[in-house]
Amino acid sequence: MGQAAATSVGLGMPNLPVAMIVGHTGAQSVEEIRENVFNVTAAQVMDNLLIQPDEVVLPPEPKARDIVFRGNFEEVNEYFNERDWSGGLPIVPPTIEKINEFLSYTDRKPDESLGIVLPESRAVTIWSLAVNGVMAGCRPEYMPVLVALGEAMADPIYGVEHSGNTPGAETLIILNGPIIKELKFNYEQGAMRDGFQANTSVGRFWRLALRNIAGFLLHKTDKGTYGNSFRVVLAENEDAIAKAGWQPNSVDMGFAAGDNTVTITRLTGGGVLPSVTGNTPEAMMPYLADGVAKQTGWEIAFTVGGLGIGTLRPILILSPILAQTIGKAGWSKDDVKRYLYDHARTPAWRVETMMDKWVDFRINGLQRQVNLGRLPKAFHESDDPNRMVPIVVKPEDFGVLVSGDPLRTNAYSFTHNGHLGFPVAKKIHVPKDWTARLAKLRNKP
Amino acid sequence: MTTKSSDGQYEVVWPCGERRLKQRPLAKRLDTLQGKTIAQLWDYLFAGDEVFKALEEKLKEKYPDVKWVSWREFGSTHAVNEKELLASLPQRFKELGVDAAISCMAC
Repeated sequence: MGQAAATSVGLGMPNLPVAMIVGHTGAQSVEEIRENVFNVTAAQVMDNLLIQPDEVVLPPEPKARDIVFRGNFEEVNEYFNERDWSGGLPIVPPTIEKINEFLSYTDRKPDESLGIVLPESRAVTIWSLAVNGVMAGCRPEYMPVLVALGEAMADPIYGVEHSGNTPGAETLIILNGPIIKELKFNYEQGAMRDGFQANTSVGRFWRLALRNIAGFLLHKTDKGTYGNSFRVVLAENEDAIAKAGWQPNSVDMGFAAGDNTVTITRLTGGGVLPSVTGNTPEAMMPYLADGVAKQTGWEIAFTVGGLGIGTLRPILILSPILAQTIGKAGWSKDDVKRYLYDHARTPAWRVETMMDKWVDFRINGLQRQVNLGRLPKAFHESDDPNRMVPIVVKPEDFGVLVSGDPLRTNAYSFTHNGHLGFPVAKKIHVPKDWTARLAKLRNKP
Repeated sequence: MTTKSSDGQYEVVWPCGERRLKQRPLAKRLDTLQGKTIAQLWDYLFAGDEVFKALEEKLKEKYPDVKWVSWREFGSTHAVNEKELLASLPQRFKELGVDAAISCMAC
């Protein structure tokens, strides 16, 4: 009820009437559902259809450059915290002077809108990105990355409006290009752990932007049952990728090698695959495929039709030594993806039971989906319930990244939230005087 | 760290994006449900089919002539094509003679 009421404001209908469904129908028998509808829901539905709700006028809000508060560091933080603007950690006070410093690192106009995003129908402006970048503890020179992230957030293919859904997935930002080294992003040991300003503050920026720009607030528009803390940025090790004879993720996402890009994708969960043993792909890949397959559970609903068809995009992150061992044996990244398609599989009975019974995202069996042409034949090559079926529709649906400790034989497997956070990549545009300004920064005493 | 004035004070701006929504008036409510056509919209999650079945049964007690357009007519409102589906609804409602719609329910 609370989410429906909060979301209706952002849809421009703050007085949209809502009827209550008692409890959660997933935990009720058909008889209980019927009784609750009879006793509670039906009367509210009839009222909502027959009684005109009062008009609601939304209160005015400050303009972008309005000074909303003046105080010392603690007072500013108290003020922001009370208004749900800071996410529970202290923020750097967003002063006009500091924001202008950020804006100096983009050629875009401050008031330019990159798009309107739900749930609150707010504009993703260059200005608002700078404000939240300041607050997150970013450096001004990160601004080109923040702008690209704003463009990604506003891209309808990503589907940012789903960021408050109940499974509570978190966005992973993947960075490519020379900007990784220019801005000192960590791409080696400790990838995805906080500890480096660039990786950590840009990760925090994303969560603050979801809060303040899109409008996702817990107990209101963000209904994640469980969440994670924000993910710090994953930068690829492009030197290691080159040594493996592969192309970086930016190329997989449609850009040229050497382009600066951000990719965002919303991931439900992940786990490490430590100590991958073997000196050939044939020796290493079975364990990796097993780990990738095991990571995907209910999320297969995004592959087989429970929630979508073919929108699952799992990710395998290889440490540099793993990627190079596989690459030097002559395997391309596509070969790795093909292997995962063929071997990262799960029993058909598990998929069908999961969809049709356990989570109630009904597909009425894989055979039906294949017969209707929704899934390829690989999902129903026999009637054997123990047959192994893919977890994605085609090999290219897997993402393969390279990052982490160069000399550890560990990998990491993520599964994904389908079209409710579909991978989107944007090019990072640096300002005209980028090289000179970075050089000046580096030469600061 | 950000700049502050000489007295240790920060003047700070509002951190939220500018609200760009167009507030829209709600459709006029119906004077009765008798003889009216009501569309059912569902995201195919959490037993909405059972909820609509019970709603039909309960409303029929008071409005025996209410007509329903089933959720099956429209497909899931939370599938990959949800944007296209939602955009098509005004025209579909016209074609189907829909007077009101009930949308449910969760994700």
